[in-house]
Amino acid sequence: MNIRNIVAGLAILVLVTFSEKATGQDAPAHAITNVTIHLASGETLSNSDIVWRNGIIVDIGSDLDIPFDVYTIDGGDSLHVFPGLIDGLATWGSPEQPRNLPNLEDPGNPPYDRAGVQPERKPVHYLNEDKSISAAMKAGFTLVGLGLDGQMLPGQVQPFNLSSEQLTEAHLFSTSIGLQGSFDTAPGGWGSGAYPSTQMGVMAYFRQLMYDAAALQEHMNYFEKHPDMPQPEHSEVLEALFPLINADIPLIFEVDSKEEIERLFRLQDEFGFKTILVGARKAAPLAEELKNRNISVIASLDVNDKPKWMTDAEKESKDSENDKDGEDKSEESDELSEEEITFRAKQEAAWNSETQNIRSLIDSGVSVGFSSAGLSVKDLQSKITLLVDEGVLTTTELLKMMTHTNADILGLSNRVGDLKVGMGAHLILTTGPLFEKGTKIHTHVSQGVINDFMEN
Amino acid sequence: MKKITYIFIIIGVFSVSAFAQDKGSVFIENATLVTVTDDIIENGDILITNGVITQIGTDLSAPAGVTVIDGTGKFVMPGIIDAHSHLNTVSTNEARNPVTAEVTMEESIDPNEVSIYRALAGGVTSIHLMHGSANVIGGQGETLKLRYGSTQDGMRFDGAKRTIKFALGENPTRVHGQGNGILPRTRMGVEQIIRSHFDEALDYRVKREAYLSAKQKYESDRRGRTAPPVPVAKNLRYDVLNDIIDGEILVHCHSYRADEILMLMRVFNDYGIKNYTFQHANEAFKVAPEIAKNGAYTSVFADWWAYKFEVYYSTAFNATILNENGVTNSINSDSNELIRHLNHEAAKTVRYGQTSEADALKMITINPAMQLGIADKVGSLEVGKQGDIAIWSGHPLSIYSKVEQTYIDGTKYFDLANDPVDMRIDISSDDNYEESFTTGFIKGREADACMSDVFQLIQE
Amino acid sequence: MKSIKITALLGFLLLFSGALEAQITDKPEYGKIAIIGATVHTVSNGSIEQGIVTIHNGNIEYVGTDRSKVGSDYKVIEATGKHVYPGFMDSGTSLGLVEINAVPVTVDNREVGNINPNMLAFTAWNPHSAAIPVTRVSGVTHVLTAPQGGLVSGQAAIMDLWGYSPDSMAVDATAGMVLNWPSVRSGGWNRRTPEQMEKQYKETIGALNKLLDNARFYDQMMSEFESNPNGKVKPEKNQHLEAMREMVNGQTPIIISVSSEKDILNAIEWSNHEDHSDLNIVFAGVEEGWRVAEEIAEAGIPCLVSTLYTPTRAYDHVHRPYENPGALMKAGVKVAIMTGEVENVRNLPFNAGYAAAYGMGTEEAVKAVTINPAQIFGVDHLLGSLEAGKQANLFISTGDPFEPLSQIEQVFIAGFQIPMDSRHTQLFEEFLDRDATQN
Repeated sequence: MNIRNIVAGLAILVLVTFSEKATGQDAPAHAITNVTIHLASGETLSNSDIVWRNGIIVDIGSDLDIPFDVYTIDGGDSLHVFPGLIDGLATWGSPEQPRNLPNLEDPGNPPYDRAGVQPERKPVHYLNEDKSISAAMKAGFTLVGLGLDGQMLPGQVQPFNLSSEQLTEAHLFSTSIGLQGSFDTAPGGWGSGAYPSTQMGVMAYFRQLMYDAAALQEHMNYFEKHPDMPQPEHSEVLEALFPLINADIPLIFEVDSKEEIERLFRLQDEFGFKTILVGARKAAPLAEELKNRNISVIASLDVNDKPKWMTDAEKESKDSENDKDGEDKSEESDELSEEEITFRAKQEAAWNSETQNIRSLIDSGVSVGFSSAGLSVKDLQSKITLLVDEGVLTTTELLKMMTHTNADILGLSNRVGDLKVGMGAHLILTTGPLFEKGTKIHTHVSQGVINDFMEN
Repeated sequence: MKKITYIFIIIGVFSVSAFAQDKGSVFIENATLVTVTDDIIENGDILITNGVITQIGTDLSAPAGVTVIDGTGKFVMPGIIDAHSHLNTVSTNEARNPVTAEVTMEESIDPNEVSIYRALAGGVTSIHLMHGSANVIGGQGETLKLRYGSTQDGMRFDGAKRTIKFALGENPTRVHGQGNGILPRTRMGVEQIIRSHFDEALDYRVKREAYLSAKQKYESDRRGRTAPPVPVAKNLRYDVLNDIIDGEILVHCHSYRADEILMLMRVFNDYGIKNYTFQHANEAFKVAPEIAKNGAYTSVFADWWAYKFEVYYSTAFNATILNENGVTNSINSDSNELIRHLNHEAAKTVRYGQTSEADALKMITINPAMQLGIADKVGSLEVGKQGDIAIWSGHPLSIYSKVEQTYIDGTKYFDLANDPVDMRIDISSDDNYEESFTTGFIKGREADACMSDVFQLIQE
Repeated sequence: MKSIKITALLGFLLLFSGALEAQITDKPEYGKIAIIGATVHTVSNGSIEQGIVTIHNGNIEYVGTDRSKVGSDYKVIEATGKHVYPGFMDSGTSLGLVEINAVPVTVDNREVGNINPNMLAFTAWNPHSAAIPVTRVSGVTHVLTAPQGGLVSGQAAIMDLWGYSPDSMAVDATAGMVLNWPSVRSGGWNRRTPEQMEKQYKETIGALNKLLDNARFYDQMMSEFESNPNGKVKPEKNQHLEAMREMVNGQTPIIISVSSEKDILNAIEWSNHEDHSDLNIVFAGVEEGWRVAEEIAEAGIPCLVSTLYTPTRAYDHVHRPYENPGALMKAGVKVAIMTGEVENVRNLPFNAGYAAAYGMGTEEAVKAVTINPAQIFGVDHLLGSLEAGKQANLFISTGDPFEPLSQIEQVFIAGFQIPMDSRHTQLFEEFLDRDATQN
């Protein structure tokens, strides 16, 4: 049977599925049959089927009894189904940072937004077209924690179903799951910058915000009980911090270096908020502490490429193996100065520990998910190849990071992140094992919405 | 062959991170001990046990198991203390507001900066890591021990007094007045910034305390007859200013001209603030009697002058005049170059003002320790003090003398006999060997460390 | 307060009388002077214990041990146990050109434009700069003061530090043409790609070579005209090329300011080119000279270097800056020490001291601040050693002048016995015991 034809037919039904949702009646279901199903754990179910209805997985296993109202894609025994990948944090569609900000009259007391503090912002109000979205979909991502570009507190993180390259409010997966944060200083150039302009300033400013928000919340609580007292002033910014103060949602904080993570710990110790690290490219030395604090990481895979002299040396040693009578090519390296020899030794060690960063975190028991954090899909594939080739991570581990673990970290694992009954239908149909060269995404399903990528 | 070399170097180099915060023991025998607070002891022995000096004298013997170092011909002196440094800041100036008391260098420590090692090689064991001079009231300082290879927290000097940077004169008036068109543009404005912020802080304290007690009353009133107070948020900036007024934080004030030094003393007398240090203070010598009378300290350059107008009428005899007038003075670096040879900077007070060698050495040891509130812990060779010392190949004020070893808490952090190239700790795999001719090596007065991060604000 | 042994009173009296004449120091003594009993460090001819140096008509008249050379009309300075050295020369400063670096109207060392061969440091030299007396009492009697900026900054001058006019102070008003080598190093603020840098480098060198070719042609043309103007039309004068004539005929050194390894190698390659064999090339700065010391030595290029800077690369050994002069010297490079300073040229002896302590040795380091720079700039017939017939530029110290614990007691410049005061000593005298008369 020609799969292409079936899928082409289904394309129309995508719309139907959409409009049916509102009726509350059972819509026709969808199924992919006769495929190898890969669970987030790495476990595989061969010759199996998966059925979903209204965006929710209703059945999974082999030799299923497929109901009459199911539009079926036959995998023809050779295709694979994986859970849809989740990007923990991306800022696709975020409006560009304004350039040429006007100079402030009193840069020491900027309005909140000019200090880089905008926790009231929600991505759903800032959805612009972004080619990264379709690229991510084609790479197998079906869900994203969407944030905004900004500085210290850029806004809230909202999960979106990646079922269309133009996201709208209809693609929202849930309410805000966290506040984005970083140590970035106030926006603006040399003339237009504002306080805080340094990391220590950001730390101090953050503290003051927390104090101000706590006072406002207290005032509001008092006022609720004592309407005769002076009424509190409304502050969208401070009120957006209440869930953070109350530890209802985490601070999803972009940070890489050990020292900066330690500074974040200080703030956490003072204010007791929950936090998730984004990026964390040099977090390994703090793995134990992260584990103790129960802090999860949505890691960046953006490891540096191998230093050139290392790849050259590898080539060289291969060449000399092939050509045993060859001349001694190590002559050049023998001429290196003491400084350069040491420099290289340290560089090699640095590269090794950078690439092993995620490994160390996982081995210490830290929950490690994934965030593209600015890395393009194209680069992502090459970084994955590098990490797999270097033996840092297996594809199974990568799959888990990008599915179940990510869902778990974002507090969504009861709804998404694996293939089982009751979960949102977030899955991808591929021509082969995931993350392998040549594997193509055949069909993309996000919360039940089907996109076919074999069409063109 | 190549591989072998690598392994050897890796062992030699990376052991630096094994120091952590160890407290070590060492016995140095038959050396000239420059005690600083007492006489020089010829052919002396000194024992450091678990990080603390436990014995000083002659003809002592080493306890079993303690490393013994032959000090014949060598000088042992307390580790040098630099009361003014920006050695390893992440950033130096939070320059966007004339008052930023709430920021602290405690949160701007880069423990991986190779300049730390270079300072150790100059016999320095502690520095006062300071905020820059862009603001009238800058950020809080942090006193560090140069435990290279440790963490940012591991570098902090336990028990040191809290400090804060103030700055008068050209720098704050250039940055804020000239640069942003806000107060202060003049030395008149500088004074008023200080007074108004202290007044605001005192007012805040009254309101905050009233709120807290009303809140307590409200919360303990189970019958609900008490009305709740309107909350007054904790204010970090004002809290710090109140701590200054309460004497919990020592002020270190960047200042140059005699008149502004007098101004600050007037202001501080009005608010009852004591125990402060004038930093740089190039014209302090003009008001040495007043400084002495107020019990204030000074921390000055050995010979820097004329690089800006407010230091044009100054002199390399500043330290000597202050010392002779009874002011406790230190010689500081404010420079990652000068910090490499602060012994030599102190020696200049002997050349120019014929200050005694003993007093010159105090200016880089016990005097800065007093200014930082750590004189009970370091700054001299005394039993009970911490084992922060340097072993010199000769008299520490001689230009020919080299630091052979530097110890902090009895643990060795620098050893001339095992002093490899490339002492960087924090390395990124995309560092480029060629491009490492980088961040501008420092030469002379080209780099105004106190104004780093803000040069862009003062372009005219 | 009584521990200070400064004879303040005399200083005060002379200060006040001097003020009326708008002078900032006392008058010097001049005439026949003999310094006897000191260890005389001739530099050119070893050291003489219990030596005698006589000064007459501004020159050194005699150096030796023969007491009979001291006539009865000589003013005798007893210096037993002390040391006499030739005055030190700093081979790279902006002294006299910059008064207060942060006050732009007092900064006269950087002219607008990229090619400024006709700009003369000599012209901007302010004989009354407050930094000059501060400098000379430290035993630094001469400086090479140089313009900065652009590709060709202008001409440096060798000045002595006593006098009332540039004319009387100039030893060589056009001592060297300053050239800033176009750098191909990156890092820090410089984010040019290697290709961009290479392109810019080639363009700049092309422009430089063309400038030199034009100057050579101009020099030949003018020389021909000047040797026999009869029947020839006088060629138009070109200020830039006129200023470069002595440079392209090798009379005036070209001082190439260069720091990093790559740039030094580029500059050597350029210098070695046969087209430039007519040039007398000197390198200044040369912070990474130790990396390529052999190459510099082979090219026979003298270097003006300092020691008080931080290592140029993060991974460099901690003592490289101190070791640089010694490393160059040992490779066979002629080395002179410079500070690069303005108001703190007085730190020259200490720059040299670090060089001495880290590989150069005291004797060679003394040469690097005396005879070496004099030879490099062709003024060794006047300066750089204690020899009869040379100018009387010297000082008396209580010990090794590199040692901060030594005192510089008396300085002579061109025979003048210099008043040992400066703004710094004057402020000292005034404020040491500020309220003395009230007590």
